[in-house]
Amino acid sequence: MNNSSGKGLAAFMADCSRWAFTGSTSYKIFLLVLVAIIGTGLWTYSHQFRDGLIVTGMSDIVSWGLYISNFTFFVGVAAAAVMLILPAYVFKDADFHEVVIIGEGVAVGALVMCLLFITVDMGGPLRLWHIIPGLGLFNWPSSILTWDVLVLNGYLALNVLVPLYILYCHYNNRKPVGWRYRPFIFLSIFWAVSIHMVTAFLYEGLPARPFWNNPLLGPRFLASAFAAGPAVIMMVIIIIKENTTFAIDPIIFKKLKRIIIVSAVINLLMLFSEIFKEFYTFTHHSLSAQYLFFGLDGRNALVPWIWTAISLNICGTLLFAFGPQTYKPRYLMAAAIALFTGIWIEKGFGLIVPGFIPSPLGEVVDYSASGIEILITLGIMATGILIVTLLLKPALQILTRFKEFNKGKAIEYP
Amino acid sequence: MTTRHNEEDQMNKEDILPGKSSRRSFLKGLAITAAASSAALVTGGCALDSLPQSKEELGLKWQEYFQDNYRLMTQAEKDQTVERLTRLAKLEDNRDLNISSQGPREQVLFGYAFNISRCEGFMDCVEACVQENNLDRQAKTQYIRIFEMEPGKLDPSTGDGSYFHEVPVADKFYMGVQCFHCENAPCIKACPVKATWREPDGIVVVDYNWCIGCRYCMAACPYYGRRFNWGKPVVPEDEITRRQHYLGNRKRMKGVMEKCTFCIQRTRQGKLPACVEACPTGSRVFGNLLDPDSEIRFVLKNKKVFRYKEELGTDPKFWYFID
Amino acid sequence: MKISCALAALVLLSLGAPHQSSWAGEAGVIDRIMAATAPFDNNQIEATHILPNQTVWAKELFQGGEFKVLARKQYMERYRCSSCHNNDHKMLATDGAVLTHGDIKMNHGQGDNNLTCMQCHHPQDRDTLVNKQGDKIDFDHSYQLCGQCHFRQKRDWLGGAHGKRVKYWAGERVIRNCTTCHPPHAPKFAKRMPATYSLPLKK
Repeated sequence: MNNSSGKGLAAFMADCSRWAFTGSTSYKIFLLVLVAIIGTGLWTYSHQFRDGLIVTGMSDIVSWGLYISNFTFFVGVAAAAVMLILPAYVFKDADFHEVVIIGEGVAVGALVMCLLFITVDMGGPLRLWHIIPGLGLFNWPSSILTWDVLVLNGYLALNVLVPLYILYCHYNNRKPVGWRYRPFIFLSIFWAVSIHMVTAFLYEGLPARPFWNNPLLGPRFLASAFAAGPAVIMMVIIIIKENTTFAIDPIIFKKLKRIIIVSAVINLLMLFSEIFKEFYTFTHHSLSAQYLFFGLDGRNALVPWIWTAISLNICGTLLFAFGPQTYKPRYLMAAAIALFTGIWIEKGFGLIVPGFIPSPLGEVVDYSASGIEILITLGIMATGILIVTLLLKPALQILTRFKEFNKGKAIEYP
Repeated sequence: MTTRHNEEDQMNKEDILPGKSSRRSFLKGLAITAAASSAALVTGGCALDSLPQSKEELGLKWQEYFQDNYRLMTQAEKDQTVERLTRLAKLEDNRDLNISSQGPREQVLFGYAFNISRCEGFMDCVEACVQENNLDRQAKTQYIRIFEMEPGKLDPSTGDGSYFHEVPVADKFYMGVQCFHCENAPCIKACPVKATWREPDGIVVVDYNWCIGCRYCMAACPYYGRRFNWGKPVVPEDEITRRQHYLGNRKRMKGVMEKCTFCIQRTRQGKLPACVEACPTGSRVFGNLLDPDSEIRFVLKNKKVFRYKEELGTDPKFWYFID
Repeated sequence: MKISCALAALVLLSLGAPHQSSWAGEAGVIDRIMAATAPFDNNQIEATHILPNQTVWAKELFQGGEFKVLARKQYMERYRCSSCHNNDHKMLATDGAVLTHGDIKMNHGQGDNNLTCMQCHHPQDRDTLVNKQGDKIDFDHSYQLCGQCHFRQKRDWLGGAHGKRVKYWAGERVIRNCTTCHPPHAPKFAKRMPATYSLPLKK
């Protein structure tokens, strides 16, 4: 701790893992619970691995379900880190600089979840080496899925390496060298937008599915991501503020709130535009929307969900927009959860499932996730939360140490 | 036209494999260095299905796991692959199969026409297809869908695809839908690993051993032409069609995509697809689009034809016509 | 900057341009088909050389020249007709209906205008059929008779839009005769249950 100039990467890793796993009893219980959920997920996945995807609720008609829905949503969460990086680095906002690492940690967790959701959705996970460029056959640039593989992994690398470098410098009580990481910061800003646009293009580019084949899909993905993502980050910051000694300036909440409100309002506006387009002139292509919002041919599994989602969406937006100025953590938490859940439903299975219903040949079936699917999904979510926890715990420790070390000195942000 | 054909093939070859040999050697290195761990993985994966009973079977499965994309294989490698499959079928299920790797023929482009004023909805085609292509009996997989249509409408999505009553019903007509083997197929464009492609004779095929089961092609198909093996397909032993093709009706694994192949195992031998042969009403016309004397060309020339969802630019090789 | 713009354009192009074929508005498969005018060498596929047993050369030509049809006479139970219908045995129509041809339910014709035996069968030479001009028609070539009324179907049948080929799409053209599919006395297909059904069944 004292001779802090030349500690190697090994010591850094060792210290990080030590800090990651030490903590209060409740922290350890929290970790254990996560591990238990992950274990259950793994055990359930072994069943799916053995018997095939038949154990899910998916069918030839609804061929993507809970996994891909969650994948889509969490890409948005990952992309939302840019909402902290952008003000912190481009507008040199000192307050955001304090918490930018939290955003990046959340992004890493979300990206790992995305990759896991894709993997569990594969029919032949053992044949996944076929998609590794150079080793298998990579259908780039034709297949948007290959673009997604590139941008997701690239963004993951950016969000791991940049904070890792900065933290390593801080760990050694050094200031990070600007030119070594700033280009990557700016790259990651564009990259964040690209991961979500590419994910939207995955659906948007399919004329077979009129519900998705809509140029507003990409922009709307971004708007909803920049509402739901910061909501998640706000939840994480509130948890950190309530449970650790890491100092968080309340101004952060105010600024995050502003971002969330603007994005949420734009999202609602676009939602309204889509609903208008679908129902003002009801065409053959509006059948999916009909199924989603009102049910079709007597099938209406998604109707309660979507209305819950829209209500939560509006509620969350209103709570953020017209809330008292006190920034009480509990109040903000409720608003964030409402907005997050609303967008999660709407952009998750509220977007993916109706794309398949009715089928291209007009057949209407319901989809409901099987127990196995839900357990695996929970396992992956727990993995994401565990990763975020294990990343942020040592990261915040390093930041605190760095701040103490530099106490009295004015910190200059690059 | 021939030149274009050849160019296309060559282009395909070149554009699908940058540095094929380097990948080979890399694979080899991988196989040696990571042998132990991968072996555990592979056998672990297979063991859940059926444990390899012998060293030979284990070795063949190992080779199969690392086998290349079918389109990249030389004819010798294709023969070897097919031989391995035949041997594995013998070892695993004690099944004697005749698996072919026969390639496309010059000057052949398969096409299909469906007479909506003749079809009476007997569904003999569906049954014949299930039998011929060894389709999963448990999941009741079918490549062909027949829709009972109301008069005044011409879109299968307005019809009833799951009727089961005496046919034909007065004042209704029947319309069959299957893979249309689009020239500009959205599924091919979507596949991230080039596991599905259009053969030079126009058939859109899947390399079951290369497919990773992401189902993006399924989402991309506007015709509901593709089927997924959600579980392990089940075909009663005595109902298995033993004359098979690597790209056609051979055994599928769980977790891979499959689809109509115009009965590639039959049509490459000059035979009609099973659905055409089974049709009792002569509603199905199949033939070589590049032969001006063929039946299919007669239909295109003399009948009023249309293609389903032509506005999507998929350029299907499947036409509907009216007497 | 210029380079990156060019790169972006290139990527978009390669994305949008289907690398194997064409898209709507461009030359598609139909242009390629219509440009193919050289007849295909149908004999190159050896597997098709084994023809179905009972075929006869058709007495007409299709767009590709000569072709064969499935024979009929071998499959007729009571052929040759002249073994009964000859000058030694005088057969009365009523006797025939009771004794031999009672299984025939005539259902051929519009409404009440059911055809009668002698509109198709030759009144003297029972081993043949007869057309409106009184010419003898061989049972193997019934299309010459049926085509008198069903001339549209016959035109389609000759070309390949009606009826079907036997077994092969390539090789010698062998097609089904009219009577291979349509029982001549009641040519309409009978109603029946479908061979199978498809999921999902509507509840």
